[in-house]
Amino acid sequence: MTLLSRFRSWLRAIVRRSRMESEMDTELRFHIEAFAEDLVRSGVPREEALWRARIEFGGVERAKEECRDARGANFLESLIQDLRFGLRMLRKNPGFTSVAVLTLALGIAVNTAVFTAFDALVLRPRPVKDPDSLVAVFRTTPGDARGRFSYPDYVYLRDHSKSFSDLSLFAFGMALTSSDLPPTGPEAISRLAGTVGFQLPQLLPGGAQPIGCYFVSGNYFQMLGAVPLHGRLLLPEDDLLSSPPVAVLSGNFWQRQFHSDPKVVGSILHLNGVAFTIIGVTPVDYMGTLPNVPSLWAPVAGKVQVGGLSAGDLENRLLIAGMPMGRLRHGVSLSDAQAELDVLAAQLRTAHPEDERNAGIALLPGRNDAAVLEPTEWALVAAAMSAVGLLLLIACANVASLLLARAAVRGKETAVRLAIGASRGRLLRQLLTESVLIALFAGAFGLPLAGWLLHLLIVEIASALPSAWGTIALKVSPDIRIFLYALLVSGCAGVAFGLAPALQASKPNVNSALKDESTAFGVRLSRSRLRGALIAGQMAACLVLLISSALLLRGSQRALTLDVGYEPQRVLYLEMYSPANLHYPQARMLQINRDLIHGIAGLPSVRSVAQASRGPIGGIRWVPVAPVDAAASGSTAQGNQTTGAGYSYVTSNYFDTLGIPILRGRVFTPSEAEGQAPVVVISEATARRFWPDEDAIGKRLKIGLEKGTMFFPGQKDPFVPSSEVIGIARDVRSMDLRRIDESYIYLPLSLTRQWTGTLLVRTDGDPRQLLPATGREVHAIDANLPVVGSPLYSMISMDPFFVVSRVGGLLASIVGALGLLLACMGVYGMVSYTVAQRTHEIGIRMALGAHGGQILQLVVREGFRPILGGIVVGILLSAGVSRLMAATLFGLSSLDVVSFFGVSVLLGGIALVATVLPARRATRVDPMVALRYE
Amino acid sequence: MDKQLDVLQGTLDMLILKAVSLGPLHGYGILLRIQQISKDRLEIQQGSLYPALYRLEHQGWITSEWGESENNRKAKYYRLTAAGKRRLQSEAEKWNRMAEVIAGILHTTPEEV
Repeated sequence: MTLLSRFRSWLRAIVRRSRMESEMDTELRFHIEAFAEDLVRSGVPREEALWRARIEFGGVERAKEECRDARGANFLESLIQDLRFGLRMLRKNPGFTSVAVLTLALGIAVNTAVFTAFDALVLRPRPVKDPDSLVAVFRTTPGDARGRFSYPDYVYLRDHSKSFSDLSLFAFGMALTSSDLPPTGPEAISRLAGTVGFQLPQLLPGGAQPIGCYFVSGNYFQMLGAVPLHGRLLLPEDDLLSSPPVAVLSGNFWQRQFHSDPKVVGSILHLNGVAFTIIGVTPVDYMGTLPNVPSLWAPVAGKVQVGGLSAGDLENRLLIAGMPMGRLRHGVSLSDAQAELDVLAAQLRTAHPEDERNAGIALLPGRNDAAVLEPTEWALVAAAMSAVGLLLLIACANVASLLLARAAVRGKETAVRLAIGASRGRLLRQLLTESVLIALFAGAFGLPLAGWLLHLLIVEIASALPSAWGTIALKVSPDIRIFLYALLVSGCAGVAFGLAPALQASKPNVNSALKDESTAFGVRLSRSRLRGALIAGQMAACLVLLISSALLLRGSQRALTLDVGYEPQRVLYLEMYSPANLHYPQARMLQINRDLIHGIAGLPSVRSVAQASRGPIGGIRWVPVAPVDAAASGSTAQGNQTTGAGYSYVTSNYFDTLGIPILRGRVFTPSEAEGQAPVVVISEATARRFWPDEDAIGKRLKIGLEKGTMFFPGQKDPFVPSSEVIGIARDVRSMDLRRIDESYIYLPLSLTRQWTGTLLVRTDGDPRQLLPATGREVHAIDANLPVVGSPLYSMISMDPFFVVSRVGGLLASIVGALGLLLACMGVYGMVSYTVAQRTHEIGIRMALGAHGGQILQLVVREGFRPILGGIVVGILLSAGVSRLMAATLFGLSSLDVVSFFGVSVLLGGIALVATVLPARRATRVDPMVALRYE
Repeated sequence: MDKQLDVLQGTLDMLILKAVSLGPLHGYGILLRIQQISKDRLEIQQGSLYPALYRLEHQGWITSEWGESENNRKAKYYRLTAAGKRRLQSEAEKWNRMAEVIAGILHTTPEEV
């Protein structure tokens, strides 16, 4: 009842505003006039009565205002008033407004973009049925907590575990489509990718195109509850070696290559020359459990059918087949399942002690990729988040110091408003409204800016990836959550940076402010101290970002100067997709290979063409190696001399082509290579390892095992019972850029017996220039042969360590540069404000005989003090940060004097300029004008 | 008791309710009535009267209507509502209890402690 009536009265007050105003007017007038009449009656002269009545009544306007407040009519009214006034104030100071809004918008946009990208990549649950009951299954061995499984192990778990309603397996793969499909065109190198030096090997024009396939177990789609767009999806019965080969197209590949033709279901697609029946199409952007969309999905059996695996590989416990993911049965907890799988892992260890020794099983939640990220990856994510968070902090501090300076300038206005009866709360609300307005504008700008940044980022990354790798299908359209996030950030920032200055501004003593006392000597200490702290904080944050970026960039620079032990500058690396997939007979393959070497060697500017089963970078091959002569090992205490060594079959000109010096002995002769004589060239480190105090030349090595284990599909391990060491090559860093190879051996390659896919071409010029001519050569020899090529140096700089440093360094320097810009604006603003505020004081000093230089020194010294403080704090913080980074990233030195000193001096210099420019205004103060100013 | 007392914080509402409980009054009339029944011993800030009236009306304890004043001028008359009556009662009880307690405390002699 009363609530209702209250609401009605409020509504009346709002709706019938003008009527209420006039009634209020009448009522108060009646009061004063009736009072006056009573006064007249009591003998006061008529002309004096009205005047006295007014005086006695007090402030009519104030009473009215309180009446409006009592009705609640004022809430909306004063809000609108505040907004209108706030907008007017913002419009009146376009410089301040645009700087504040843009500063915040930038901070918000970068934060929103990074938050969104992180969410989309890591946090968002997989877009499948009930993602919470999915579990990622890893095989753990000492040193590898995220291992994948062999096919027989997977089958054992699938058939014996009771915890899962389904346990599926997926594996990445690549297959060649025949050239009857239209090619997707050359891969464009995106601008962003180019900037960070991210250049993937390019597919040379012509030839069949490799497409990305995901090979999944037959129950995969059932487990995920996937629904096809056309046709049907894979079933367990498709995943048998005896079943006819079938494939499911991804919606994206279907759109791109088949122009969304639904009739494609039932037709034939050739993969590696094998006819696959297309049975269905997944929805566009359907990713399953993976981070990107492949071109097509095929059963694991299909991987055998295309020749990616041999039938025997599916029985091999040492051959990694893929990563399992399961769905927990209803009511089974993750720890229940873990307990059961621990038992199964123990059973496997007992049944296969040779292969499963030390192997365990770890389950992790599979709802998103967050659980799968490793600590180092989390550290990088946290670093990126902190960097952008720091940017928002700088932006807020900057706007706060701007507002603080402005609040001081507006001290007089505030005092006037307080003097004519505005309450402190009302004033606070007004100032807060202005801050929130700025924040809202910033949010309004920041949101589209964030969308644009994200789009740029993702489109650029997507265009940097070869289409064979699949499609990145991240949703980058700003959804409601992102919008709310931006709004929340901007709102909190608005209130946070608005409150401090508002509190300060509403504090001044009315009298002193009206007398403009703040321009005299007594500069309010607390305010300048707060501003100084803000400036120092910004400087410190900038310095941390900039020093980090300098360290990262200098670290990635090392990719170019790193002594890898060979000369990568003028070497082109070419890799053929195995023509075994094309089902060519061996003789034809070898002929193509020899034609190719001959053809490329004939190109102008080519010095030599070497071939290797493995180049100096890329996938690693291991083989067990032991000295043959037992007596030779007598000098070392180790009982078991067998050790794993990296190996490569190479042609005899390999060492010349790469510039690897032969320190002792010789390389194979062409006839030794052709005949695959039992001779071997070993690295220095290998020689030291087996024969530390002796000359290794002439010693003999046993390479490989009689019972050839196969670690890698399609690659037969070498086996030479006794091979003579004929040469020692200089050590190189080929397996891990962080250190020289511990042991590496080079075996002779026969071009008439062995096919390998890697060619190394030494040129006189830039190897990149050689790519088109090489492509034409490949095309002329076999149009179906896909070859990718890349300069060797860019492959080194593609090493993940360097890529992380480079991308991180680039991001940190962008963020740091933005922060520096903001901080300098803050410094500039603060110093110009101080000068304006102290005009009077400076005038007096000059009148008393101070000259310009002294004044400049005074102002600069005071302005520079917080900057110096910030730099000191920043250096200390950076020392901690860089130590953390150096621990996780290769090529960084944690105390790099150039980075620390250079960046600090640069930052200090820029800040000094930002101080001196406005400070010079102080020297132009005319003492007479300044003193007369009051 | 020649010196006028300022109205205690929070008691103005109660006084207004009491004043209009004796019959409808316009704002100036309420002021006069309070002064009259307090025998001019209370001083009311005239400016604070109207916000209080608006507040009480907003809370539904009094209502207002336009009428004619003694000298035939248009004036707004306030009247107590049923809710206002209850409110006045409870306020008065509370006040009396409070006054009793305070008086008791103030009359305490050293022997009683």
